[in-house]
Amino acid sequence: MTLSTGHSAALDFAQPEPPDLSSGKYVKLWQGPQHPGITGNMSLELVLDGDTIVSCKTHVGYLHRGFEKLMERRSFIQNFTVVCRIAVPEPTFNEYLYSHAVEEISGIEVPERAIWLRTMNLELMRLASFLMWIGGQSGAFGQYTVPNWTLAYRDYVLDLFEEMTGARIYHMYIVPGGVRAGLPDGFEERAREIMKGAEKLLDQIERVMFNNVVFKARSKGLGIITPDMVDPYGIVGPNARACGLARDIRKDEPYLAYDRLDFETISGNEADAYGRAYLRLQETRQSINLIRQCLDHAPTDGPFQADMPNVLHWKVPAGETYVKAECTRGEYGYYMVTDGSEFVRRVHVRGPSYTHAIAVMERLAVGTNIADIAGLMVSLHTYPPEIER
Amino acid sequence: MNTVDEILDYAIDQEQQAADFYEDLAGRVEKGGMKEILMEFSAEEQRHKQRLLAVKSGEHELTPEQEVLDLKISDYLIDVDATDDISYQDALIVAMKRERAAYKLYSDMAEKLPESHLRKVILGLAKEEARHKLFFESEYDERVLRDN
Amino acid sequence: MNLRDLLSPFFVWQRAFEKPYTSIRPTIDRPGAPAYRGFHINVSEECVGCGSCHSICQNHAIDMVPAAEFEGRTGDSGLRPRFDYGRCCWCGLCVDICTAASLRMSNEYAWISEDPDEFHFTAGVDDKPWQNNEHGYRRAEGYHLYPPKRIEMDMLSPDESVQSFEEVARGYSEAQAKLEADRCVECGICVATCPAHMDVPDYIHSIRDGDYEKGLQLMYRTNPFPATCGRICTRRCESVCPVGILGEPVAIRWLKRFIVDQVDAKDYPRILNDQIIESGHRVAIIGAGPGGLSAAYYLRKKGHAVTVFEAGETAGGMLRYGVPSYRLPDADLDKDIAYIVSLGVDIRYNTRIGKDIDFEQLLQDYAAVFLSTGLSVPSNMRIQGEDHARVLSGLQVLADVASGRDPGIGSRVAVIGGGNVAMDAARVSRRLGAEVTILYRRRIADMPADEEEIHESQEEGCNIVPQAIPVEIIAADKPQQVSIKWGEAEMVQDPTGGRPRPVLQEDRMHTDTYDCIISAIGQGSDLDFLSKENQQQLAIEWGKFTPGEYQQSALQKVFVGGDVANRTADAISAIEDGHHAARGIERLLNPDGFTATQTDNTGEPA
Ligand SMILES: Cc1cc2nc3c(=O)[nH]c(=O)nc-3n(C[C@H](O)[C@H](O)[C@H](O)COP(=O)(O)OP(=O)(O)OC[C@H]3O[C@@H](n4cnc5c(N)ncnc54)[C@H](O)[C@@H]3O)c2cc1C
Ligand code: SF4
Ligand code: SF4
Repeated sequence: MTLSTGHSAALDFAQPEPPDLSSGKYVKLWQGPQHPGITGNMSLELVLDGDTIVSCKTHVGYLHRGFEKLMERRSFIQNFTVVCRIAVPEPTFNEYLYSHAVEEISGIEVPERAIWLRTMNLELMRLASFLMWIGGQSGAFGQYTVPNWTLAYRDYVLDLFEEMTGARIYHMYIVPGGVRAGLPDGFEERAREIMKGAEKLLDQIERVMFNNVVFKARSKGLGIITPDMVDPYGIVGPNARACGLARDIRKDEPYLAYDRLDFETISGNEADAYGRAYLRLQETRQSINLIRQCLDHAPTDGPFQADMPNVLHWKVPAGETYVKAECTRGEYGYYMVTDGSEFVRRVHVRGPSYTHAIAVMERLAVGTNIADIAGLMVSLHTYPPEIER
Repeated sequence: MNTVDEILDYAIDQEQQAADFYEDLAGRVEKGGMKEILMEFSAEEQRHKQRLLAVKSGEHELTPEQEVLDLKISDYLIDVDATDDISYQDALIVAMKRERAAYKLYSDMAEKLPESHLRKVILGLAKEEARHKLFFESEYDERVLRDN
Repeated sequence: MNLRDLLSPFFVWQRAFEKPYTSIRPTIDRPGAPAYRGFHINVSEECVGCGSCHSICQNHAIDMVPAAEFEGRTGDSGLRPRFDYGRCCWCGLCVDICTAASLRMSNEYAWISEDPDEFHFTAGVDDKPWQNNEHGYRRAEGYHLYPPKRIEMDMLSPDESVQSFEEVARGYSEAQAKLEADRCVECGICVATCPAHMDVPDYIHSIRDGDYEKGLQLMYRTNPFPATCGRICTRRCESVCPVGILGEPVAIRWLKRFIVDQVDAKDYPRILNDQIIESGHRVAIIGAGPGGLSAAYYLRKKGHAVTVFEAGETAGGMLRYGVPSYRLPDADLDKDIAYIVSLGVDIRYNTRIGKDIDFEQLLQDYAAVFLSTGLSVPSNMRIQGEDHARVLSGLQVLADVASGRDPGIGSRVAVIGGGNVAMDAARVSRRLGAEVTILYRRRIADMPADEEEIHESQEEGCNIVPQAIPVEIIAADKPQQVSIKWGEAEMVQDPTGGRPRPVLQEDRMHTDTYDCIISAIGQGSDLDFLSKENQQQLAIEWGKFTPGEYQQSALQKVFVGGDVANRTADAISAIEDGHHAARGIERLLNPDGFTATQTDNTGEPA
């Protein structure tokens, strides 16, 4: 397949004629909001012609917790305990971006040690998140061995989080000003040990999952994203890279220590579910490599927090910023407006699932076999919690 | 004063005299608050007397061997008169000096005596007076020399 | 499809022998990581009940509740944090902000109970199995949620400062004041500790808001001497400020000064807006020191006609004649006094009660009398030779300098004493060009003087000789000189208790000659203006009054306060005594209206 980038005039955004349900030809089926294949609480309203989906409409609203609004009534320090909950499997990106936005507006310079510890934390997060995703993708095609492996192994990574941050899921480690602590004794050795095991696991997964006749049969050709869809649909991250676009914020607009790390943007040339999966497998290995580099370079002493004002009555100057980072699913962004008071005026959290799970999903679902709908959704790597902030 | 009882009687009498002295002064002073202080001194002397009575009756023993801290405060202070408008600083000086004099008296007395039970008793009385001196000197150190 | 793809799935057997992550049985405990954020631990003896944990918790999971066992220590609110585990999210912000580092978390995370109320507990008070757990989250070294260090005050260098009587502390700039004000955690322990219960957190808040007029109003509620106290207060508030436990206490005194310095005296009437409705009662005050004038201010606000009788020719008492101008410039003291006087307080200068007017006369002419005559009689050392002409009293030297007279100290002086008066006399002597030696009978650490004063006097070149006991003053060869004999002292623990006491070492005596000796070992009251009967009636102990409720003496009409009636003998205590006496006098004169008056922040009637 040859791929071109850029916008194509051929792309059709017109809403298809709604199927005539009274014709008796179609069946309407709701998938979710509690279906495990949905990767979170949202639902798909599917219309089937036989086994084939002729229309898909997405519904969200089951997970709305009003985080953005909550933040407008909490102090700048208190918010950092809230934001992690926005994307459960990847809380750290919220911690980092929230903190970074506040720091940008207040002109706080984060010390070198904190920069490295943050980078390592984010890569550990990508590793843990990819491990969980691999299990999800495999399971969505009815293969339940790999999920047991990856979810169990993810727990070893969570052990590292527990040591480093004091918690397994909601780490609350990256705070405005820096991080909350340095690394505990012996962390480096344990981290290297776990990275070694992860690498071995990934090799085994490649063998039993990616060289698996059933997995190939189910995922190849499923949910093809063509380069001309990328910009109009706002597709980012592995979903975009798999169709050949070498776009990675870590490389293109480096933040934290990424400009000092040795890595290349990975892009693929098969934009179906299989291609995306394989690219994610590579990126998982890349994260292991980056974690090792962080372990090599992170300073072991010096401050890990900038000089901070008293957070009990911290007023951030009036300002506005948009900050972003490359999470496992692509560009994760925080838009923040402050008005000089003790509270943030507005925060807008934009996770990649917003487009991937709604517009992209509605398009790719059409024509798909009903049995593949869960596999398709997982292959877009979406987290409904981050759609509803 | 050759027997233990005689010397104890003398000492008891001295304490009574001291108690009377302060009581008498308390009756004369004019400054507000001094009366109470002097009555307190008098009561302190009464307590000394009670202690010696207990020694005499054998209920209590003197402790001639025990070391008593000597702050040496009164040693370098000038003599003051126990006038009607005595201040509390001066009242303390009078008290310290009286205890010091008694202490000196007994220790000088003991020095002239050969090793004997009587000598032990007199030494014991000296230590007793040294303790009284310490009591008033500590008070002086606490209150008068507070800023110092 | 190729054969490899068909066979490779069977390689799953390879992991069959990997060690499983999970435990074999659910009963096996897996302890949390050493820094795990588990259940809370509070070391109640270290906690000061500042409530910062309560303030920072976004879940309102912490209530501050009284904990009887720990009540009553200085700088302790007596409250302890009570946790509601139905709300807590184990973020640990409470641990991070804890000013005493008493709050931590254990690495315990499993807690099963049938009783939901159990999950509402006072850490460190209610017995919990993890209270002594040595693992768990605690704030990392070097991690702060408020700046631990205070903003340095600009000071004249010691070389400059000894050249003149110019004020040494230069005052904060607005930027500095705002930064320092930012450090306050608003616990209010200072309010409880301040003798006058000033609204410290609130006026500090007004600095953060840049609203200095509001700050001034807040200060005048409890203290009409803010310009003065902002410079020379003994600041017990700072000694209990919990920010000082792990860092340096908030510079409360300098912040108070900053507010006053921002407001022009001519704007005071508009800002403070003290409306006076005449009551028709007449009250006499003896002594125009801070005690007397504070009473005058609050009595005047109640509408009473106030007459202050002052023996001296100016107002201010020891603040004028004692505290030197490099610590408290006259202009600032005058700023405070002028506003009080502007409310219509009548001060009769050069009028000594007992000499010019009889005390009995006042009792007849006035509805009430407040007496705050201070301590004016220097204590004597009572050593041989003390009456030598070259032995001066510290108070006299300071009063001379304050009045522009030359105290004639010469060029080499010895100051005896370790209190603030001694430090002031020494530093004043340095400014008069003398070489200064301070003889003090105990250790430097025992000096009752403010640490800052000791430090600054040393910086300005005063030589402190500790453990030096003067024993005799001897005439020197030249009449304008004098010799002092002093002995070294050893500190000995008194077996009967109390602080270690200095014991003279008679084999280590020294004799030195100076141009003068300044004795500053304390001062006592002069109550001779009262008749014998009055003295008997007024209840005096150790030369001081022992007032009852609202500073009322045994004579119903007479209220007493200030240095002659309190143990602390500082300006702020005198100010509070004056305010308190004003309340008492109001109660006496207006018993019906009294309970109805509005209360100020201390809970007392304003
Ligand atoms: C050298 C020195 C330094 C000090 N430094 C500090 C410090 O840094 N911080 C601090 O908080 N405190 C300090 N103090 C203490 C503080 O000055 C006093 O606590 C405070 O002034 C007491 O106020 P007062 O109203 O009780 O008495 P005073 O200020 O002593 O005022 C008493 C007034 O009564 C007048 N008076 C007395 N008798 C009569 C009479 N019979 N008739 C009419 N008038 C009479 C006197 O002339 C005097 O003006 C210092 C004191 C001294 C001496
Ligand atoms: S851990 Fe967080 S949520 Fe829990 S009490 Fe402390 S501040 Fe509140
Ligand atoms: S912050 Fe610490 S010292 Fe203050 S009340 Fe809470 S536990 Fe106690």
